Amino acid sequence: MQLMVKYMLSITALSKQFGQHQILTKLHLEIAEGEVFGLLGPNGAGKTTLIRIIMGLIKPDGGDVLLFGKYRPGSIEARRLIGYMPQQHSVYPGLSVLENVLFFGRMYRMQDADLHQRAVDILQMVELEHRKNDLVANLSGGMIRRVMLATALVHRPRLLILDEPTAGVDPLLRIKFWDWFANMVESGTSIIVTTHNISEAERCRNVVFLRNGQKLEQGTPQELMSSYHADNLEAAFVEATRSRAGNENNGALS
Amino acid sequence: MSRWIAWRIIQEIGRDRRTLAFLLLVPFIVMTLIYVAIAEDETVKVGVVTRGAVRLFASQMIDAIAKEDNIAIVSLNIPDDEIDNKVIVKLIRQELNTRKADVILYMDENLLNERFDNKPGNIHLYIEGTHPTLTATALSAIADAMDDLAAAMPTVIHADCSAMCADSVNSLPMETKKHYLYGSEDYRLVDYFLPVFPPFFVFFFTFILSTISFQRERVNGTLERLMVAPVSFFQVIMGYVGGFFIFAGLQAAIILTYVLFLVSFSVNLMQVIDIAIITVLMMLVGLMLGLLASFVANNEFQAIQFIPLVILPQIFLSDMIWDIGSFPRFFQLLSYPLPLTHANTAMRNILLKGQPLWQSWPQLLTLAGFSIVILLGLMRIRQNKSF
Repeated sequence: MQLMVKYMLSITALSKQFGQHQILTKLHLEIAEGEVFGLLGPNGAGKTTLIRIIMGLIKPDGGDVLLFGKYRPGSIEARRLIGYMPQQHSVYPGLSVLENVLFFGRMYRMQDADLHQRAVDILQMVELEHRKNDLVANLSGGMIRRVMLATALVHRPRLLILDEPTAGVDPLLRIKFWDWFANMVESGTSIIVTTHNISEAERCRNVVFLRNGQKLEQGTPQELMSSYHADNLEAAFVEATRSRAGNENNGALS
Repeated sequence: MSRWIAWRIIQEIGRDRRTLAFLLLVPFIVMTLIYVAIAEDETVKVGVVTRGAVRLFASQMIDAIAKEDNIAIVSLNIPDDEIDNKVIVKLIRQELNTRKADVILYMDENLLNERFDNKPGNIHLYIEGTHPTLTATALSAIADAMDDLAAAMPTVIHADCSAMCADSVNSLPMETKKHYLYGSEDYRLVDYFLPVFPPFFVFFFTFILSTISFQRERVNGTLERLMVAPVSFFQVIMGYVGGFFIFAGLQAAIILTYVLFLVSFSVNLMQVIDIAIITVLMMLVGLMLGLLASFVANNEFQAIQFIPLVILPQIFLSDMIWDIGSFPRFFQLLSYPLPLTHANTAMRNILLKGQPLWQSWPQLLTLAGFSIVILLGLMRIRQNKSF
């Protein structure tokens, strides 16, 4: 049984700038363990930059990130506990489905006996067991997405970070993905998922709206919809963006 | 960790039949072509025309020339009874024009008269002239034959020379005894080139393949995924070293076997081990340079442009084919930072001069240094650059 910490991820005053572009501006964010958390916002809101900082791939200009209450991004401990599924098709096309899963399991130092059983289970989950010996190069886009999920999950991460996991995925498979996310949370994996397809994020426990590297709102989808009198999350997001823009204008006038 | 990355590379390249064929067959084909081009010396067709009293020496002349290497004596379509000088010259030009002969040696009836008249006497060489290498071969063969012939020609003694003096004239040609520091009389031009091929090909292919596969790993985002996993960058590089070692080793074995089959001199087991070590060092340099190139390049298109940049100067400046000693000083200096220069020197020291490996320690040290310096540079770039 893993010890539950209050916040799986605490982000304080995080800033990042690329050249002239301010990507993240003094962002504060706290994410609890044991849920699907949605990082929502339009393209260019800073979602991917935030994720890359959490993964330790880039260093922030200012602010702090703490994982599981004690680990810094990029530390060996944090890296072991996180699973990552990037936006691109980043698996090896020259390897078979199973070989890809085994390879990434080995990169997380899994022992062979455990790894082989886990690979079979995980491929069953993503419904690719019948294609396990096919080269990834011969698979469709949706299948490659599933292989990516399997390779990100194989080492039983405590936190799974998914960057636009359903981009370019057909609606039926998208529903399946969200079902799998729910199952994973039940079996003890927390999930942070980014998407610019805001309506699908209604299945998250909590979401944050990001825009221009700043937090617009944070709460459960229901809370956000009712506070903006919207009947779906997308409408709530549009409303939140408008009212923030209005506030900024008022501020400028006064 | 590294071994699984190596295994992954082996699986991917091993399944790629075309890449494998490229890796293993291309050196074979290129070496065969070079061997045929260099080892099979060109034969020059030489015709001999004699008139007047020199006819007596014609067969001796022809024998002397025919003895030289790479010369074929051809019979010409010039009637024996034709004695008009102008007509003969016209016919000679015709024969050259139709490439019946490349060079025609014409000794006319005046030659002996001039000799008896105390003049050196003129021998006329009619040369086709568009093929400099043929011309050079013919001229040196004829010059050698002339030395032999001089002994057979009537000795003319100057009028001032006394009887004593005449007796002391020794008309025998001197004989040359050759003493080789390295190599032997059987040593051919191609023997000079062959030793540089194993490190060259291994370097070349490792560089190309590692540039492209590492570039792909960066662009696809799989490198990022490795960096996110508890894997260090050094382990990734060691994985690459392991994976490419297998293919470079296989390739080197094939090239080496072929080289040993082609060279005219014998090679012992120790030499084979020595050149294998140099080849491995060159593989490492090629791999590190490939990784560096793929880091500096932002996309595959740019990565490919590094290939001629790295390969071509080394072909010209590494002493591989052209003697770097005869280049201007500036280019000689340029040859030092090229790894192939040092590999070629070491390979020739071992195979052609028969030196033990340790005598090439400056070259070994330089090659190892190249790998280490580039590796450190890579680690540094990795620190400052995200993928």
